Amino acid sequence: MHIHNYEKIWLAASVLLILLLLGSVTYGAVGPGVAMVSDSEQAIDAGGLDDDDRFSEPRVEQVGENEYEAYVVAYQFGFQPDPIVVPENSTVTFYVTSRDVIHGFEVAGTNANTMVVPGEVSKITVETDDRQEYGLICNEYCGAGHHVMEGKVNVVSQAEFDDRNDGGNGE
Amino acid sequence: MGQNETAHAPTDDASGETEEFDPIGTLTLIAIYFVILVLSWVYIYYIEFLGRDLVVVG
Ligand SMILES: [Cu+2]
Repeated sequence: MHIHNYEKIWLAASVLLILLLLGSVTYGAVGPGVAMVSDSEQAIDAGGLDDDDRFSEPRVEQVGENEYEAYVVAYQFGFQPDPIVVPENSTVTFYVTSRDVIHGFEVAGTNANTMVVPGEVSKITVETDDRQEYGLICNEYCGAGHHVMEGKVNVVSQAEFDDRNDGGNGE
Repeated sequence: MGQNETAHAPTDDASGETEEFDPIGTLTLIAIYFVILVLSWVYIYYIEFLGRDLVVVG
């Protein structure tokens, strides 16, 4: 079979393109460590969040040196806690669940973005950089107040974070 | 454009060894598409996606 030279060129180019795409995704996973929303979390009872260790009291907790966990509940129409306050330059794992219908959890302008499904816990881990205030929005239509459903994720200095947790709420 | 005029007289060079058909315009067009694709991908993935804050790592 005779294959025209030009055809060989664009066959080779398309193979190269596929390898480039696969290569970048592999690089993303290996280099910066890009991961998917974890599916390893156990299902929970959306109606029983008040009896749940993590979600009866939505909060941010320190779980290791410079490692934090944020337990977040989405509801019609908002997020708890509000704002979600985390320290700068740390590793934060968000556990997000819903007490009613499907919501979205999108830290505006960032890659932190997941669906929030009642009965399921969405787990995403991110690394925070410098101090910054991010908007937090629901990106799944969830009812009449969807358009006003918003929150905040505030990345604050370590000192301010410690202040808030020692001084204020007294658990 | 004139290169494929021979297509009208297929009986003449049915042997096929001497290939006159060189769609250089198509090749150029595909090359341009290719470059656009690669540049867009590099921009979308490496600059827009990986460059944003709070990259999900777990
Ligand atoms: Cu919502």
